[in-house]
Amino acid sequence: MPDQPHVRLVGVTKRLGTHLAVDGISLDVAEGTFMTLLGPSGCGKTTTLRMIAGFYSPDRGEIRIRDRVINDIPPHRRNTAMVFQEYALFPHMTVAENVGYGLRMRRVPRPEARRRVALVIELVGLSGQERKFPHQLSGGQQQRVALARALIVEPEVLLLDEPLSNLDAKLRVRVRTEIRQLQQRLGKTTLYVTHDQEEALAISDQIGVMHNGRILQVGTPAEIYFYPANRFVADFVGLANFIEGEVVDAHHINVNGLVVTVARPIDRRGRVTLVVRPEMVRLLPAGAADQPALRGRIAATAFLGSLARYWVTANRSEWIVDVPAPGHETLHGDVVLLLPSERIHVLTE
Amino acid sequence: MAVWTRTRGRMMADPGLVVAFAAVGALLVLFVLYPAVRVLIYPRLADYLAVPDNPRWLQAARNSLLMMVLSTLTATAVGFLYAFAISRRDMPLRRLFQTLSVLPLFAPPFMVAFSYILMFGRQGLITKALFGLDVNIFGWQGLWLVQTVAFFPFAALVIGAVLEQISPTVEYAALNLGATEGGVIRTVLFPLARPGVAAAALVVAISVLADFGNAVVIAGGFPLLATEAWFRIEGLADLKGAAVAVALLIVPTMILFLLERYWVGQRTYTVLTGKGTRIEQPPTPPLIRWLLFGGCVVVSAFVVIVYVGVLTGSVATVWGYKWTPTLAHWRLGLAQGGPQLITSLKIGVLSALLTSAVAVLAAFITSRPTLPLRNAIDFLAVLPAALPGVFIGVGYLLAFNGPPIILSGTVWILILALSFWHIPLGYQAARAQLKQIDRSIEEAAQNLGATGMRVLWDVYLPLLGPAFMASFINAFIRAVTNLSIVVFLITPRTLVATYSILAMIGGGFWGAAAALTTALLAITLLGVGAARLVLRVGLRPIGAT
Repeated sequence: MPDQPHVRLVGVTKRLGTHLAVDGISLDVAEGTFMTLLGPSGCGKTTTLRMIAGFYSPDRGEIRIRDRVINDIPPHRRNTAMVFQEYALFPHMTVAENVGYGLRMRRVPRPEARRRVALVIELVGLSGQERKFPHQLSGGQQQRVALARALIVEPEVLLLDEPLSNLDAKLRVRVRTEIRQLQQRLGKTTLYVTHDQEEALAISDQIGVMHNGRILQVGTPAEIYFYPANRFVADFVGLANFIEGEVVDAHHINVNGLVVTVARPIDRRGRVTLVVRPEMVRLLPAGAADQPALRGRIAATAFLGSLARYWVTANRSEWIVDVPAPGHETLHGDVVLLLPSERIHVLTE
Repeated sequence: MAVWTRTRGRMMADPGLVVAFAAVGALLVLFVLYPAVRVLIYPRLADYLAVPDNPRWLQAARNSLLMMVLSTLTATAVGFLYAFAISRRDMPLRRLFQTLSVLPLFAPPFMVAFSYILMFGRQGLITKALFGLDVNIFGWQGLWLVQTVAFFPFAALVIGAVLEQISPTVEYAALNLGATEGGVIRTVLFPLARPGVAAAALVVAISVLADFGNAVVIAGGFPLLATEAWFRIEGLADLKGAAVAVALLIVPTMILFLLERYWVGQRTYTVLTGKGTRIEQPPTPPLIRWLLFGGCVVVSAFVVIVYVGVLTGSVATVWGYKWTPTLAHWRLGLAQGGPQLITSLKIGVLSALLTSAVAVLAAFITSRPTLPLRNAIDFLAVLPAALPGVFIGVGYLLAFNGPPIILSGTVWILILALSFWHIPLGYQAARAQLKQIDRSIEEAAQNLGATGMRVLWDVYLPLLGPAFMASFINAFIRAVTNLSIVVFLITPRTLVATYSILAMIGGGFWGAAAALTTALLAITLLGVGAARLVLRVGLRPIGAT
């Protein structure tokens, strides 16, 4: 079956002590997909990952890899290698021994193991470091050892639990790009857990946003960003202005007297919430607009190099507006806000 | 950077610090180094050269080394299994086992031997009364059993500390990469614990070599270096012989000590942990869990028997013949030993205070990076850990019996000997704690105008509370229950409880000895409880300012 998902969760529930950590989630991950579980701490994303690895067994529901239910298979027989947040390298083993550990446990003959270790170490760019111990490596190198150690066993599914959170900001961006390139090259089905929305957007094929033990939305990064399913997703992924309005007809919403046009037809009546991303709004000096616009006044400005961020008071609420490539001049005083129709998203719940 | 160096320079010129440095240095030289040197130079070279011709010396040396090997092996093995068992969160009765394993640390050092004579000896409650056996527990086999029970808690403590450091995530990583549960133990947990096991073995080996209390009670006619020193003085008034015996003893303990400090001590694996969620251990496989549980039950039984033996011993009318309960032994024991209990308590409190004060001050001084000779002070502060009690006892006897300082016969010689012997633990605790304290706190104090000693007083002393308490409690317990030093320094005017108990055991007054031992144990525990209370309450306001 070509369309069968590689990993499938059906109604999986897990209680840790009295806390309902994962509350009946279902999820399909297609073969070769990079799927990220994104959510704030305590949302159940790590627990979900650990259930797939077999460290916890679900209280209810099913976890399948291809057509096999793996609920009761112990972790060491699953082949779901994991990269841990704190790496969990074996401190008494060298880099080569750490990387080769999985092969040793699988009783791979020594010459073959040695060959594969060398190959994987080269793959992650650690050649020459084989004889060092973990404490002699930098954080980034340790991270690579952890990745190599997981990749070498040719896992069915690769699991990564916040693997970048112990790296500094610049390195984080570099390593995440490398992980993504490696994943695409190997075509490995990957589940990635993070609380960093930017990281999730940058790296994933698919994102599942989690909150309070549930999956709120699954979609591509663009879908999640432009069409968030609800207020939580819109707020957690990127910055958002939430505007209340009254539905006029399928394409028009009345926002405090100003009628805004939306591109995607609305099938609802009454009050709705609009999501407007900061960079979707166009900001012009007062009087420069030749179409209906909101009048506002700039309350604060922050120059961020590649963009300027304004806090604008308009329509009795505060808006965040980003203007790209601002140059030397920033706006101030009275302004007007234009809301392009194709960019406005109406929350449906 | 320039400001920094200048501050350091000013600290050197700080008179308070210089005085403290000189005082601590002088005290350590006088009360650690001087007695040790006196022991070593007291016998003439000819006396040392005559050692190989004396079969009794050779026998004692061989026996001491044999016991070291045997008891270290068993105590470390038992300690490891025990520590491993209680490091598993899913071990039934884990807390109980943990408590039971620290109990022997509060007991006088001869208590295990004494109790096992009562329980497993010729008149033993278990051997004779229960099974009708005629067992002679005196000798090396009895000593082996007793030392194993007496010293496994040390090993368990050291190894347990290492096992606690191991992050459960490492276990998950191994499972995740295909290791079975047994494989995790074999390939990850055991190798990680290995440096701890080595350190534990060295600590136990020093304790076994230095063990006087158990040996003197249960070894019988089996000569050992530690007891031989005392027999020389007690029976033959042969000071030279005693000095030779303890000088021979110090060779292996010194080697073990140096190994521990400069080799094993450097090799513990630091498990790298970034920020991350502290997660629970994976479950222990049932077979291993229940095997370990069974082992713990057996070992704990041996610990419990120690206490049961002494308690029943104190109330049975005639041990081995008439088991009806009586309070006669308690009356006799307290009448004879009551005043000595008070003396023990006083000595314990005073020496523990002195120990802790010197330890904390020494730690503060050696943590100053610019002071000269700080490595020498550091060495003198940890050296006593390598010296057996009998060595210190003979050393003080030789050193303070005549000019320049005469202390023999006073209670102060006891207090000083016990104080300086117990400095290393408090010193190391304080050093470790000082390392934890961020330098910027001190720099802030200096920045606001505090000088060297002022920094100690305002900043470090309040933060060193826990180290002071650890030092005090350890020094108090060991001073109150000490036998190996006091037997050499005691006079009829300065009798202490442990010595009386030894005399009672020797004289066959088992009931009274058991009653007095129980009373001593109770006082120790009460003292520890009181110390915790006083120090905690007393330190809080300082810590709060």
